Amino acid sequence: MRKAISYICFYAFFCLLQFFFGKYLSVNGIFPNFILIAVIYLGFTRGRMGAQTAGFAFGLTWDAFSTDVFGARTLMLTVIGYFAGMFNRQFDKDQIAAQVAAIFFANIIYWAGFSAIYFILPEGSGNYEPFAVTLTGTLKIAVTVIITPLVFWVLNFASAFSKRYL
Amino acid sequence: MVNSNRKNKYADIIFIILVAAGFALIIARSTPFVGLIKNFVYYVSYPNVNAANKIFQYAGSFAENIKSVVYIRQENLLYRQKNQELTDKLRNYDIVMEQYGSLVKLLDVPKMKDTQSVFARITVREPNDWFQWLIIDKGSEKGLYQELPVVMLRDNGQLCAVGRITEARGGSSKVGLITNSLSAIPVEIKDKKISCLAEGMGSGMLKITYIPLNANVEPGDEIIASRYSSVFSAGMPVGVIKSVSKENSLDFKTALAEVYFESDILYEAVILVPKGDVK
Repeated sequence: MRKAISYICFYAFFCLLQFFFGKYLSVNGIFPNFILIAVIYLGFTRGRMGAQTAGFAFGLTWDAFSTDVFGARTLMLTVIGYFAGMFNRQFDKDQIAAQVAAIFFANIIYWAGFSAIYFILPEGSGNYEPFAVTLTGTLKIAVTVIITPLVFWVLNFASAFSKRYL
Repeated sequence: MVNSNRKNKYADIIFIILVAAGFALIIARSTPFVGLIKNFVYYVSYPNVNAANKIFQYAGSFAENIKSVVYIRQENLLYRQKNQELTDKLRNYDIVMEQYGSLVKLLDVPKMKDTQSVFARITVREPNDWFQWLIIDKGSEKGLYQELPVVMLRDNGQLCAVGRITEARGGSSKVGLITNSLSAIPVEIKDKKISCLAEGMGSGMLKITYIPLNANVEPGDEIIASRYSSVFSAGMPVGVIKSVSKENSLDFKTALAEVYFESDILYEAVILVPKGDVK
């Protein structure tokens, strides 16, 4: 029960952060991908099951709140969650280099997967060009990577706090 | 260790299910209507130019779909109407073909000496008087009068006795059938030279009376009009013996015969009119 509540709170927090507070954090349309960080964090700490399920739920929500091809984010975040879960307890999650590397590669997989889907189904892409390396896209990845240690630290702190006091 | 393996196995299965669901969502994609609503909700919560463009894009596509649905519906109505027309035409065609078949059959009516055939359609048959009488659509205007014989063409191309005209009016005539309970016609057993009388019974059967006691009459014997008949020409087939009475009688025996004319499919009749009387 406690676990389920913690997952729901986790989900709600990141949804709010990404979808409602994202626009306040955005600078010229560039803001970090908090959800990707959350999925990777879950993969490192909870394993495949938690990460892929959360990835699916986050992706589905994001798809519902976006104008892109429905299901693209659901699929990508599920796959990323699964692979992140495979590295559960094999990385030192407190090590900043590991966090940064994981998020960087996850971003690359996310971008490649997304591009592949839009390459196959071009009708929903709008102005998005598959496999095109743009400044905005690169900056988004950079911002996400830079903010990762901070998000991990907050999540670790919250986890330790809940274990101790709740 | 075992517990961990089991957990991993479940995770793999769940992963496959989730990926399949993701693919299904992508493959199914959203219809323009769903896309329109989704983008509208998105625009309300997070207004931007891209979302607005998508809304217009989906709205256009949705409107196109609605338009095509309306067109298809309209076309469908048109086709339905055409279909109905064609069905009616086909039905009429079937009726015409049926009539044509009947008329072709009537062309095969054997020619009889000094008589002329007048073809008439049966217009009225009362269910209560099914075996008593009927009305035909030819009357005195065509030269028909009382006591003329009415026959029909059988499948084997032969004529058979049906009845006689009892009333003739301008454009119609009433025909009293040989099965009428008031009818009695002199007949004979074919090839046996046995004269007798065929009386109507108000059913599809005739009562054959006045058969001599010693006459060799058997079921299957054919009844034909006798030369004493004032209505039908001698030898006109009437019916076939079905049973012979086994009652002991002093002078005569009786039999039951079935008429040849098929009551259920009697739609046209042929009236044999002496030459010169036809108008």
